[in-house]
Amino acid sequence: MALSPAATMVTDSVTKAGTVKLSAFSTQKPLEKTSAATIKSLESAPLVNLADQLNDAERRKYVKGKKLGSGQYADVFSAHLSTNPSTLYAIKKIKVIEDFKDGITYDSLREIRFLQELRHPNIILLHTVYSTKNQNLNLVLEYLPGGDLLQLIQDTGGTHYGMADIKAWMAMLCRGVYWCHSNFVLHRDIKPNNLLIAASGEIKLADFGLARSFADPAQPMTYNTITKWYRPPELYYQAAHYGGAVDVWSVGCVFAELVGRRVFLGAIPDTDVNMVGAICNAVGTPTEDNWPGVSKLRGYIPVDAADVKPVRGKEHWMQQFRAVGELGVDLMMRMFALDPNARCGMEQALRHPWWTAEPRPSRNEDLPRRGGGVRQMGEDLKRRGGELPVEEEGRADKVARKLDFGAMKV
Amino acid sequence: MTQPQTLNEDDLYRTSSQYRLWSFSPESLAALRQKTHDLAIARAQQYAPDKTTLDCLTLEECLRLVQRYLDQIRTTNDHFKWPVTVKATAVQYLARFYLSNSPITYPPKEIYKTVLFLAGKTEGTHMKLSEYGRRISTPVEEIMAPEYKIMQALRFTLDVRQPYRGLKGVLMELLNLAGGKVGEVEGVVTDGAEALQEEMMSLEAPPNEAPTKWRMPAHGNVETKHITDRVNAAYASARTILDGPALLTDAYFLYTPSQLLLAALQIADPPLTSFYLRTKLPLHSDLRPKILATISACAELLGSYSPTQILSKDARAALEIKLEGCRDPSTRDLVGAHAVAKRGGGDDSEAEEKARRKKVAREKLARDGEDLFGPSLGGKG
Repeated sequence: MALSPAATMVTDSVTKAGTVKLSAFSTQKPLEKTSAATIKSLESAPLVNLADQLNDAERRKYVKGKKLGSGQYADVFSAHLSTNPSTLYAIKKIKVIEDFKDGITYDSLREIRFLQELRHPNIILLHTVYSTKNQNLNLVLEYLPGGDLLQLIQDTGGTHYGMADIKAWMAMLCRGVYWCHSNFVLHRDIKPNNLLIAASGEIKLADFGLARSFADPAQPMTYNTITKWYRPPELYYQAAHYGGAVDVWSVGCVFAELVGRRVFLGAIPDTDVNMVGAICNAVGTPTEDNWPGVSKLRGYIPVDAADVKPVRGKEHWMQQFRAVGELGVDLMMRMFALDPNARCGMEQALRHPWWTAEPRPSRNEDLPRRGGGVRQMGEDLKRRGGELPVEEEGRADKVARKLDFGAMKV
Repeated sequence: MTQPQTLNEDDLYRTSSQYRLWSFSPESLAALRQKTHDLAIARAQQYAPDKTTLDCLTLEECLRLVQRYLDQIRTTNDHFKWPVTVKATAVQYLARFYLSNSPITYPPKEIYKTVLFLAGKTEGTHMKLSEYGRRISTPVEEIMAPEYKIMQALRFTLDVRQPYRGLKGVLMELLNLAGGKVGEVEGVVTDGAEALQEEMMSLEAPPNEAPTKWRMPAHGNVETKHITDRVNAAYASARTILDGPALLTDAYFLYTPSQLLLAALQIADPPLTSFYLRTKLPLHSDLRPKILATISACAELLGSYSPTQILSKDARAALEIKLEGCRDPSTRDLVGAHAVAKRGGGDDSEAEEKARRKKVAREKLARDGEDLFGPSLGGKG
């Protein structure tokens, strides 16, 4: 039991009702309970220390099945409870990285750290973690057989969806990201292939390999984060201090991609210059007028007055995104505010009138699905943070960005 | 449909691993440590059965030794000039490690460097292991060896909730109150910004024994700059308490981060803290007495700490000699065991996995088989 009885209760109530129910004056002391039970079973068992026992008990609860995917960073297996073969899980077994000499990698530590804290219906649920004797970390995750959102977006021939479906998916995404932010966690890699689909049709935010907790206001952070097509302008300008607004921009990119069924802010090759160009074209050129202070950012590149593209107005957005209506476009524009201070926050986004306007968001059971199946889950989970899927022909755009530890301030 | 429910900050905190796995009552904490210790002693009697009277560390001695290394982590963290968040995380990792492991099994001097390096990684210090090892003159193999043991003892929960960000928030709020910039505090009726500022100016002086450096001006004429100084001094003093006593006692196991920071502030400047709490907690609130009592209890724990509790170098050495006499021989060669495990030699988890799969399949077959051929003949025939 890595999760204590009390913790299991939390998990269940989160998954079922979408809200956390805990008795306000709960005096349950999880560890105490677990250890009491363990000690009891000890009387006949060999005198193995407590930590080893807890780990072994955890490991024995699951039976690993077939391999769903295999990558450089992790292997993903299907698994089930040893007491009940119909309760399914995915186990992500993190590989020992040969060329990383410093022990457990940053990606793994970040993913474990944050998934242990975040329990929400729209965030992939980490049931437990255990290690084997040859020192592999195994993450027992919820089973998500519906593929990912990228597959649905790209399946233009086979999958049809409308405003109500987009609204349902966006609402789930926004709730998941809101939950991260209210727990002081920045995801920093929101994109369609990190949004996995459960059997219920629900969307789950996955891959916390690039996440970090909010920094102290004075502490500098790396700007070299978030997959490029989903990266906000302030990070191209090398802002060292930022907050939830970086994730909001990415959410906006997913929104636009859902509607347009193509990447909204893409450039090939995706150099910083090209990407900033793409943002200027689609949204507008950042200037001191629309973004006070932008010229003070370290990576800011001055633009000739003649080349400044004015910030796009509502009509322009309506032409492209009419499918989500005027209110939908209004929300999208707020997510694409160039100035991160003017960009809407996740709470503001969730309070937007679009959600309650007609049409109502689709119910989970009515959402279109394509079913990339569990194999896609294997493919999605084996990646490391910041990696894009390898294209079918195996072309070399697989690393959207690499973590540059040298440039990392924190 | 279940009616959605608004979560307050307490609800949020209760979802944290710190609350779920690492919060205790004083009794349950003591009981857990006793069990871990008894288990280690029982093992010691197994691997050293010839000794009729095993002379080993008492639980009290184990705790003192661990505390000494909590302090060592603080010193080493300061040596690297890493942020206080790394320090608090590492100290708490070590304290958590020794809830389910005894120093008799894993002497802290072989664990604490790894703990600090791991905390550095989770908090993103990005120092290379080679540099870390060089600067504390320790072979990298020794630092790497217990990493998985530590992860396991931490039950793979790495997030440590800390009081520092909250304390900074209180500082900002108090400075705004002192500047007469805050008139309305959520949920509490006040007479406006100026009245609050006036009230702050007329607060009684902190008692002489309070650690804050601020003292009433001799002329007794308190102005805005005086209360601003008072707030800053209280913050600095509370911050020192959070860096020391809060990390070297059981405070993190027994109290929440906000309780810790309010207790530290209360020790630093009691009248100022009472004022701050009045702006937050309505006088008629039912929760008020409970919250105040908890803060006082926490302050008492923090106040009970004295630097003289930390073992001297000689006392530590004496305990470590005693420990050497009864330490668990099976964990003596961590580096060797780590190397074996990394080569995959120490484990046949895949084979074990296969065996278990087969067993489950066999059992299933047995069950299905019974169904297939109906119940045993003794039944209906």
